[in-house]
Amino acid sequence: MEVESPEQLQRKQTTYLSFGENFEIQKEVYRGQQYSQIYFARLHWMRALLYSLVPNWKSHLPVCTILGLEEGTECIIVGTLYKHMKLKPCILDEYSKERSVAPLVKPHNFMNQDDYLVLEDESGRVKLGGTVLSPSVYVTGVVVALHGKETSAGVFFVEDVLEAGLPPQIERPLKSREDKYVVLVSGLSIGSSSSNPLQFQLLVDHITGHLGDEEEQGLVAEIVHLVIAGNSVEISRGILSGQNLASKDQSRLSEPFKELDIQLTQIAASLPLDIMPGSSDPANFSLPQQPLNRCLFPGSATFNTFRSCTNPHCFELDNIRFLGTSGQNIDDLTKYSEAKDKLDFLERTLRWRHLAPTAPNTLGCYPFTDRDPFLIDSCPDVYFVGNQEKYGTRLVKGSEGQSVRLISIPRFCETGVAVLLNMRNLECHALTFGTQFSS
Amino acid sequence: MATPPKNIEGFYKQKKSNTSKSKSSNSTKHAAATSGSNIAQPPALVSHGGSLDLEADDFDEEQQVLRQFDMNMEFGPCIGIPRIDRWERARRLGLNPPKEIESILKRGKVKRQSLFGGRT
Repeated sequence: MEVESPEQLQRKQTTYLSFGENFEIQKEVYRGQQYSQIYFARLHWMRALLYSLVPNWKSHLPVCTILGLEEGTECIIVGTLYKHMKLKPCILDEYSKERSVAPLVKPHNFMNQDDYLVLEDESGRVKLGGTVLSPSVYVTGVVVALHGKETSAGVFFVEDVLEAGLPPQIERPLKSREDKYVVLVSGLSIGSSSSNPLQFQLLVDHITGHLGDEEEQGLVAEIVHLVIAGNSVEISRGILSGQNLASKDQSRLSEPFKELDIQLTQIAASLPLDIMPGSSDPANFSLPQQPLNRCLFPGSATFNTFRSCTNPHCFELDNIRFLGTSGQNIDDLTKYSEAKDKLDFLERTLRWRHLAPTAPNTLGCYPFTDRDPFLIDSCPDVYFVGNQEKYGTRLVKGSEGQSVRLISIPRFCETGVAVLLNMRNLECHALTFGTQFSS
Repeated sequence: MATPPKNIEGFYKQKKSNTSKSKSSNSTKHAAATSGSNIAQPPALVSHGGSLDLEADDFDEEQQVLRQFDMNMEFGPCIGIPRIDRWERARRLGLNPPKEIESILKRGKVKRQSLFGGRT
């Protein structure tokens, strides 16, 4: 019997371009500025954009500032929305004499039927009325154009609303591509009681081609990139109480990182990977989160395939633009607005052209002075959010021929699901890993 | 409570002149915010110790121009950002801020922060 020498399977390659400089804050200097600066930058950019879209929408109406509103005159105003929410936690509640208003059980969602919207620009603010603009859909920080008129009560009655819509998308050359896959995973939560090391090891073994026969390995050789979208480690809260740690507890602190580094070394030896910080990772709290320090990964950081990235993260693989976050922006929208599906939130942020409209109102954010880095100026081809409850995907089409694949990446420690994206046609599949034997 | 003023008479002076400090020669040049008044700051509002909120040399033309630049909402909020950085930002955003502001600020003898700087 002859033993055939096994053929070497080559993994496919892609070109990688990073657009992460926008989210880095190394060059920023804090001089005591407040958040009014970032709101000004946001309003200025979005207003210029909306002014250019208004003629195509309703060209016959005059555009005016909020202070220039005249009662009864139909006009268009542009400004930042502010949603007044009765149940939104306020720091002053601690000092209020009557405690009866605050509910004893903290709600996960702060919406209330008495919420109302206000539109603001530099000149003033006006309360919004009418039923076109639903307070359950919008959040503070979104910039829109409104058509309506001021009533005698001083309320602006909204008849129509114009959102910025999907940004322009760079045309991708339609050359016949071959199948190349990107794996997206999030919420590994190594170190938490619910994470299963065997499940993650299965994922690593599968991606690096150590599982299966030649046919399966041939399929795996088409995986070209791995993106880890946040929450890779989870340190139990008990250790982080602020007390000095005994030496046995100190090793508990570093165990998750050692374990993660071992796994990432196996991955980095095999294919390029991007790791983003999440809400439970040791990175700064406010967005944009800065890349995890390379000294946390002594083994894997030596590989040039290892990339520590910001959150949000924007990059291009073979001219396909990816944009995504580790979930904090969508989780915040869940608290302050409602939708049938998480992908609805994702689509809304794209139509509002802003990754995190609730920053800095309810989402921690760095006080930029001259720009708002969360504005989306070029439509991505793939837009993902990590650390969600379940896997979901949708293809969104824009009015100018844009096409975006929205992906909601579930938490791997809870679901065992990673996402496999085919770069040729932007189709998505769930890659499920299980360690239970069904009887 | 605050310590009593050193000069009670100066504190409660009703005449339309300035406090006992020798800045009264410039009092007529003040461009007052309140119309119809010769002085920029009524004696009742002068802080203890007699120092004015706006010093006398704030009222030349350069300072006026800079104050108008600070107050112009078109260029965004003025608090928390140095004047030159606010001017740079306005230029970068395409708002065409007047070039004379840049030359005044680069000459260096003026306050870096806006007129609210350090007072809020």
